Amino acid sequence: MKREQITTALADIRAEQDPTLKAQKLASLCSAAFRERGFELVVVGGSAIEFYTEGAYTSGDVDLCVLRPAQTIPLRLRQEVMGELAAEGGPRSWQVAGLFVDLLGVVEKECQTPIRQLQGPYGAVNLIDPEELLVERLLVAVYPSPNPSARACAKELLGVALTGRVAVDWAEVQKLAAAPGYKVLPELTELIREVANELKVRNPYDSN
Amino acid sequence: MNSKSEIPTIPIDRPISWEDWLKGRQARRAISERLAPQGSQRPTSSSDRRLRRQFNGQRGLPFRKTEEL
Repeated sequence: MKREQITTALADIRAEQDPTLKAQKLASLCSAAFRERGFELVVVGGSAIEFYTEGAYTSGDVDLCVLRPAQTIPLRLRQEVMGELAAEGGPRSWQVAGLFVDLLGVVEKECQTPIRQLQGPYGAVNLIDPEELLVERLLVAVYPSPNPSARACAKELLGVALTGRVAVDWAEVQKLAAAPGYKVLPELTELIREVANELKVRNPYDSN
Repeated sequence: MNSKSEIPTIPIDRPISWEDWLKGRQARRAISERLAPQGSQRPTSSSDRRLRRQFNGQRGLPFRKTEEL
């Protein structure tokens, strides 16, 4: 990216007052900058949940992981790239244009469905798939102790999926929930029934 | 694209444009509000100190109202 493009993008992000748009714009800029250096990033955590649900979940930080290649980004390179974006701090967390960016290492992902992609204003943004987010939130909602915020989040993800606002692979969700890494299939089945009833929509696991 | 309502779906197998994603925001928020009227934001996190220092005691910027999306 040319210096003028970066300056314009940073001014736009700094001026943005909508937290969801601000986070996605910043993710778009960071992704473009690291892509030029051969690293593909993916948005995880609250900003990814917000992308799918608009559930007023996200806070003032954007969590990014490395998607490809599956290796950590050298510290020197991180500082160089984030320095080009006028970031302060590092080498794992920076302040940029009024938000915090955390670079968390290589993404952990069990789900076989594709990473979703948003054509952001400064370049493509990869987002961890909703199937993985849903099952992960469900696990956190139950273990190690009941977590109302995680449960609300799982309900919101189910809501946008069951109403068709977000396309999901229901077979993959079921498979993931039953996998040894999660083991939350009964909880998933119960919550889907609850949300489908509440929204009066079809339960994808009902046979008729 | 959902032809019934013309509110774009976030697809599995292809990217969604910025414009289509924006178009669906209000509908997604409405569903989330219905299911979790009290919101889903975590009350605390390990980043609290830096967030509250940056955002005047809050954990981030205030969210827009649903009708403004």
